[in-house]
Amino acid sequence: MAAGHGAAEAVRKRPYVLVFAILAIVTLVELNVQVFSLAESLRIAVLLILATFKGALVVSYYMHMRYEPRWLAFIPLGALVLISALILALIGTGVAPVAP
Amino acid sequence: MEHAKDAGHGAAPAAHHGSLWPFVLGFGAAIGYAGLVMDLRILGLGVVIFVAGAVGWLRDDMRSPSRADYGTLIAPADVVRVSSRKLATWLFLATEIMFFSAIIGVSWSLRVRSADWATPGEVLNVPLTGLNTFILICSSLTMVEALAAAERGNQKQLKLFLAATLALGITFLSIQGFEYLKLFFEEGLTFTSAPGPINDLYGSTFYIQTGVHGSHVLAGVLAMAYTTIKAFRGGFTKENHEAVELVGLYWHFVDVVWIFLFTIVYLI
Repeated sequence: MAAGHGAAEAVRKRPYVLVFAILAIVTLVELNVQVFSLAESLRIAVLLILATFKGALVVSYYMHMRYEPRWLAFIPLGALVLISALILALIGTGVAPVAP
Repeated sequence: MEHAKDAGHGAAPAAHHGSLWPFVLGFGAAIGYAGLVMDLRILGLGVVIFVAGAVGWLRDDMRSPSRADYGTLIAPADVVRVSSRKLATWLFLATEIMFFSAIIGVSWSLRVRSADWATPGEVLNVPLTGLNTFILICSSLTMVEALAAAERGNQKQLKLFLAATLALGITFLSIQGFEYLKLFFEEGLTFTSAPGPINDLYGSTFYIQTGVHGSHVLAGVLAMAYTTIKAFRGGFTKENHEAVELVGLYWHFVDVVWIFLFTIVYLI
C-alpha cells in the first residue's frame, strides 16, 4: 500500500547508497582513529559519537524513521531514555572500585 | 490463514485472521521456559511443540498475502499511516534495546571496576572484525534495496537483494564463528578466562555480548531464509510485501546494535 509509506514518489529517490558510503567511510575513520593521537577519554568520546551518528543514519534512512509519522520515533527514543537511567545507575555502581 | 482465499478478489481482506498456530508456538515456549528451571526433558518437549507451532504458522504464512493491516478504526490508512504489525515490530525492537543495554551496560560496569583489562587489538582481531562490520553494513544496504524493489514491484531485484542479504548474514556469522574458534582454542580467551595477565572477566563479557548479538543475527538469518524462500515462490507483490519491511526492520536493528557493540568491545 503506497499510503503506508507517505507519498509514492518519496520511495523513488531515497539516498540508500549515499548513506552506505557515509557508513563505510565513518567505519574506516573509527578503525584508524589512533592516527589522531587523542587523549584516551577524547578518543572514547569520539568513537561513541561516531557510533551514535552511524546508528542514527541507519534508523533514519534504512529503517525509514525519517519517512514515518513523527510519533513513531518516540518508541525507540523512549527506550533510550530508560536505558540512560540504567547507564547512569551502572556508572554509579562503578565509581567505587571493588577488589578483583 | 483463511484470508489467503480472498487473495484473488481484490476486495478488502476478510476480517478473520484466526489461526491456532500462535497458540501452539506460545504454549511450546511456555513449556520450554518451565523446563529450563524444572527438568531439561520438559524443555525438550517445549522445544518440540514450539517448532511444530512455528512450522504450522510458517506453512500458513507461505500461502498468505503479506498485506499491511491498519486495524478496524474508522480512520483510513493514510491517516493511521503505521500498520499494526509495523507498530508491534517497533515496540518489540524497543524491548530489544532494553535487553542489549542490560548486557552491554553490565559488561561495561564490570570493566570500569576491574584491573588488567585488554587494550584494543591486544587479544581481538580488530581488522577482521572491521571487515565483518562492513559486511553487516552491506547487508543493511541490500536489505533496504530489497524492500525498495518490492515497493516498485520488481520481483527479480527483490529476490536478488534478499538472497544477497542472506548470504552476507551467513558470511558475518561464519567469520564470527571462525574468530570464536581461534580465540577459544588458540588465544586462551574462554568463557571464564583470558590469556596471560588479562582479567578473566574480559573473556566472559566478550562472549556474552557478542554471543547474544550473534544469536540475534542467527535468528535474523533464519527469518531472512524464510523470507527469501517466500520471495522466490512469488509470495510478495507490490501490494503485499509487509513481511519484507518488518524482517528488514529487525535486520537493521541487529546492524545498529553491532555498530555500538563493535565500538565498545573492539575499539575502546
